[in-house]
Amino acid sequence: MLFNSLDFALFLPIVFILYWFVTKKNLKAQNILIVVASYVFYGWWDYRFLSLILFSTLVDYAIGRALSTQEDTSKRKALLWTSILVNLGFLGFFKYYNFFLDNFVSAFSFFGQEINANSLNIILPVGISFYTFQTLSYSIDVYKRKLEPTKDIFAFAAFVSFFPQLVAGPIERATNLLPQFYTKRNFDYSKAVDGLRQILWGLFKKVVIADNCAQYANIIFNNSENYSGSTLVMGALFFTFQIYGDFSGYSDIAIGTSRLFGFNLKQNFAFPYFSRDIAEFWRKWHISLSTWFRDYLYIPLGGSRGSLSKKVRNVFIIFLVSGFWHGANWTFIIWGALNALYFLPILLTNNNRNHLDVVAKGSYLPSVKEALQMLLTFSLTVFAWIFFRAIDLEHALSYIGSMFSSTLLSIPKVLPAKVMLLLVFFMTIEWIGREGQYGISKLGQKWKRPFRWAFYALIICMIGLFMQTKETPFIYFQF
Amino acid sequence: MQKFLQNIFLFLVFAAIFYVCGLFIWGSSYTFGQLKPNVNYQIRYSGHSFTRFKEVKKVQDIDILFLGSSHTYRGFDTRIFSKQGFKTFNLGSSSQSHIQTQLLLKRYLDSLSPKQIIYEVYPRSFMIDGVESGLDIISNDRNDRHSLAMAFNLNHIKTYNTLAYGFIRDVFNLNKSFEEKLQRDMDTYVSGGYVERQLQYFKPSAHPELDIELNEAQWDSFLKNIALIREQNIEVIFVYAPITPSLYGSYTNNDYFNTLMKSQGRYYNFNEILSMDDSLHFYDSHHLNQKGVDLFNNELLDLLNKK
Repeated sequence: MLFNSLDFALFLPIVFILYWFVTKKNLKAQNILIVVASYVFYGWWDYRFLSLILFSTLVDYAIGRALSTQEDTSKRKALLWTSILVNLGFLGFFKYYNFFLDNFVSAFSFFGQEINANSLNIILPVGISFYTFQTLSYSIDVYKRKLEPTKDIFAFAAFVSFFPQLVAGPIERATNLLPQFYTKRNFDYSKAVDGLRQILWGLFKKVVIADNCAQYANIIFNNSENYSGSTLVMGALFFTFQIYGDFSGYSDIAIGTSRLFGFNLKQNFAFPYFSRDIAEFWRKWHISLSTWFRDYLYIPLGGSRGSLSKKVRNVFIIFLVSGFWHGANWTFIIWGALNALYFLPILLTNNNRNHLDVVAKGSYLPSVKEALQMLLTFSLTVFAWIFFRAIDLEHALSYIGSMFSSTLLSIPKVLPAKVMLLLVFFMTIEWIGREGQYGISKLGQKWKRPFRWAFYALIICMIGLFMQTKETPFIYFQF
Repeated sequence: MQKFLQNIFLFLVFAAIFYVCGLFIWGSSYTFGQLKPNVNYQIRYSGHSFTRFKEVKKVQDIDILFLGSSHTYRGFDTRIFSKQGFKTFNLGSSSQSHIQTQLLLKRYLDSLSPKQIIYEVYPRSFMIDGVESGLDIISNDRNDRHSLAMAFNLNHIKTYNTLAYGFIRDVFNLNKSFEEKLQRDMDTYVSGGYVERQLQYFKPSAHPELDIELNEAQWDSFLKNIALIREQNIEVIFVYAPITPSLYGSYTNNDYFNTLMKSQGRYYNFNEILSMDDSLHFYDSHHLNQKGVDLFNNELLDLLNKK
């Protein structure tokens, strides 16, 4: 079920009413309802893959229970590895089997050995990369004794399958989300209103910004050989806003929906395109994944401690793995490597924690220095997105080659007034709201109700007038 | 919780009013069409729909009603039929799909009370979603509950927005002073719904191959239309009007379509009855010029009279 579908528009109020009225605020009943609703939500897409979620849930629940009674270190380690192997095994099979097979065959043929191996027609289960990492965080935290293993199977099943963030995150840590399933939830008016506001903004980002940009990004990327350098720059820019609107929009809807049910999810995007360097960008982009890799991969590897070569190795590992997590394609790996190259000089000169505050906090405009820093960081990001969007490496390289040609400074052939105006509106609101949790979290809070409502109604109006007419799946569903 | 639900309700009412006002202002504004992607109210849509829908309200008790796409209003010359003593009306509209035919039947069948209906069937009308053709009717005819039913059937934001905008224009009677010129560009509207195109000849071109794949909603509406017509004991004849032989040949599964149509009743495929020439009888790949129309209509009349 897509957030931007009529199905979800009906599904959400039904679950909301059942949750707050029919379960009579009984914790267990609420958790069971969440599990059922989440399975319906997921099964709407393909019910066959529910068995994977159920299996993951049962395995990690059982491993958690076993870890609670097991004191022997080697046996504890074996239990942890079972969880890792099961979860990553599924992920590896569904997501990476064909990639490894194809590359294996290519490598052998490169050395003159022909191998016959048939790739499988595997459907990637939606959300597998997200819920796999979420359950893994549980097993690892229980193993590290950071978290008490749960005895409540329904609470755990609800944690694994919680429908707002099941298919595209944010990837919640067990330490943050799981305890919320044990605690009695009371309806909180301001939290629910805030949730609705965030859903509205997320929907705007998705159906107006992302989908409109997608239309032009697709045209340009799919016919890149026919366009001038300047038009290709526009294509990369459209994709830059598409992916941000799409993914952060999804996260906003997920977080907002969770708030309606009394849950607090972590912020997943913190206005990343206003970053002053790449380190800041990575603290603000897909925060739940970046911190997951930081805590469960980068720090165990030694992080930024140790020799120079170790630092370089760790940075490359985390960015390459992050790239590979996005998809089984060399383009994602190069995208990760490129970001590692951007990040390394900042880390090695100890400048990676220079910008921890909000840019131009308390001011209307950034300083010239900040503006230039943001422009540079944004340009680097736009360039890297070309690899992310391209079909394969050859496409990415030819795209970049054509972009940096003599036509780079010509007038772009694709310059849709509608999208440009929408982007100006969008980025202005995001800039104004950059000190909040999301674009409109604080905007208009002190206005009188009619003005505040008029502002929200204006956003609804813009959605109705400018949304793309086709229901488009979220980009991150494919990851 | 009560406060929450109460405020949600109030906000939804507020937002609905705001939306309608915003829609009206934006829809009426002189902004480029590109800035109004989801409102497409065009009273001067091609095909003289405005005049046709104005005229049909004054017509009653006819012998033959023509329904269908532009092949209908450019293909069935009501003057030729009237020479043979038939009182006819041509209720074709641009790209009319079966969802729109349903609306027109519900709106006008009782008043027109035809003895016979010539239902033009063109594969494309079964394949399209029907959104653009729906907008033509919303923009050029007065809207009612049937328009709303059509909008739900099409379930498209553009249709909803344009309909809401159309309703406001209807309420304030804003189309009252509009008069459509009977002669526009190369088209002349003929009383009875036919549109005559200045004589032109088509320069033949190649067409890519295409499979006829029915849109489920269109097929469903088509079946409902037949049932509605037959409920009123009106004879219905399905006619596949001539298109250029090269275009006809580009459909890879004409037999499938012919079999399907035959299974629904009396069916004439004039692409197989008449032998027409791409250039001589057409002004574009799928519209007859007046020479072609004369030939086609006389052949149809022969068949009707024989029966």
